[in-house]
Amino acid sequence: MKKTLAVIISVIMIMTLVFSACSKEDGESGEGATYKIGISQYAEHESLDNCRIGFIDGLKEAGLVEGEDFEIIYQNAGADDNMTLQIAQSLVSQNVDLLCGIATNSAIALYAEAEETDIPVVFTAISDPVQAKLDSGNVTGTSDKLPVEAQLKLIRALQPEAKTIGIIYTTSEPNSVSTIADYESLADQYGFTIEALGVTSQAEVTQAVDTLINKGIDCFSNLTDNNVVNVLPAILEMTNEAGIPVYGSEIEQVVKGCVASAGIDYYQLGIKTGMMAAQILTGEKEASEMPYETIEESETYINSDAAEALEIAIPAEILETATECSD
Amino acid sequence: MLDLFIKTVTQGLIYALLSYGIYITYKILDFPDLTVDGSFPLGAAVTAVLITNGVNPYLTLVIAMAIGAVAGLCTGIIHVKLHVRDLLAGIITMTALFSINLQIAGANMSLLGSDTIFSLLPLGDMGLIYRKLLVSFVLVLIFKFVLDLYFKTKNGLLLRGTGDNENVITTLAIDSGNMKILGLVIANAFVALCGAIVCQEQRAFSATMGTGQMVFGLAAVIIGTTLFKRFSFVKGTTCAVMGSIIYKTCIQAALSAGLPANLLKLITAVLFLLILIVGSIGHKGEARS
Repeated sequence: MKKTLAVIISVIMIMTLVFSACSKEDGESGEGATYKIGISQYAEHESLDNCRIGFIDGLKEAGLVEGEDFEIIYQNAGADDNMTLQIAQSLVSQNVDLLCGIATNSAIALYAEAEETDIPVVFTAISDPVQAKLDSGNVTGTSDKLPVEAQLKLIRALQPEAKTIGIIYTTSEPNSVSTIADYESLADQYGFTIEALGVTSQAEVTQAVDTLINKGIDCFSNLTDNNVVNVLPAILEMTNEAGIPVYGSEIEQVVKGCVASAGIDYYQLGIKTGMMAAQILTGEKEASEMPYETIEESETYINSDAAEALEIAIPAEILETATECSD
Repeated sequence: MLDLFIKTVTQGLIYALLSYGIYITYKILDFPDLTVDGSFPLGAAVTAVLITNGVNPYLTLVIAMAIGAVAGLCTGIIHVKLHVRDLLAGIITMTALFSINLQIAGANMSLLGSDTIFSLLPLGDMGLIYRKLLVSFVLVLIFKFVLDLYFKTKNGLLLRGTGDNENVITTLAIDSGNMKILGLVIANAFVALCGAIVCQEQRAFSATMGTGQMVFGLAAVIIGTTLFKRFSFVKGTTCAVMGSIIYKTCIQAALSAGLPANLLKLITAVLFLLILIVGSIGHKGEARS
């Protein structure tokens, strides 16, 4: 027993040394009014990356200068749920002035860890902040709820005859599950039925595409589902062969070859979040007093080349306001 | 920095409960049990739903353990009674559990604002960090002694025998299949318990939180046993705890080093390799002398 204790204590002492060695570089950043901002991003993903870049640009737009007024400590969990908490712990211990959580799981971990401190948390890219219980407390941010209604209107305008919309989603992605519910409740109003097919992994997506094509759907509509978006080129190859258009959920997907999208601009979402963060940092507002925000107006993106290949005519009034994404 | 250190040790202690499970299946039974990736989030899902419905957080731990045990039982029956290979038996249960977990708790659940085993303890003003350390330390210690005692009982010796030499157990007129099932039941009860505590600690359930838990457990047990095997007085359970703490420390060290986020896993892998090399060099040296 004594020997076991001795081993345990010696290991703990060794690890203390490891930690103090690692923490030396933290000591120098005590001077001036440089705000330290810790960013925890859930996964490596174009939309989320755009959010982060937008967030930093938003801080700059609010008049703060990177390197002078603020510095960023950025960590990425690589879609590993178990990393989110350790990242949160690491950031909180570095005495940051503000935490930014990108995507649901990272934001919850940050808030859970920061609750006992007075570090405010700002989140972005969360579809349903109420369900995530991030709607009260020293926390605020922006929601990336998809403009489902605008997307349905757009599909109706481009395909007046269409009846069935196929959607593939990952059953374990919270954002996808809540958006599917939105689609199902709104589809009737626009004369659509939704064929939603859930998958559990990226490997199942192309099989699901085949299944839906066989069911005779008129088009696909994408969510911001990681598994689906990651294999978009493979999906487009199959749908183009079958002559079925795919509608994206944000600009990057239309650039890759989706026909069109009524989506939100994640970069703009990030900028909005960054400006909110700046208000909190400068003491203008308290995070606890700020309700979370959503982007009301959706942007329309079109890819004329993809539309032409599928013989879809884009109405002139949509062409006028939409952003062209084909090259 | 002391805070971070305490938090990291706490992480290691909480996950040590999962390492106990892997220690039983992998080290004692020589059974690569992939059920873990499903029973870990199962414990979390059960605890998340029960807590949001107002059940006492401590009670949810017991229920999570019981349900985790059932998951282990399924794998055991599939392997022993239906003669499915060990690896595949675990994969079958894990795959089924993915859907079951989604049915229980959905894609994710937030427990923010609910009481947990840590916040409920009547310890006055004590900070959450110390509450977490205390609770996890006490739980790990209790279960360590329970397991150590169990391994000394007749039944415990038979369990160890089943992994070492199945034939001997069979000649003793003991059904080694039943011993395997028992081992899987105990192991997955621990894994689900760990999932339940992790869920209360990070106050969120996510359907994908089980991914990679078996790999973590294996790494923790192997690191622990490699480093401490030359100290014959260190019990296997202690090795599992130390391995778990060292694993979490490596990740935190990689995070704190401030290297590019994308390199995190690579740094962690290099740290593990170094530890294992150092561990085995020391061992060889001792063997020569």
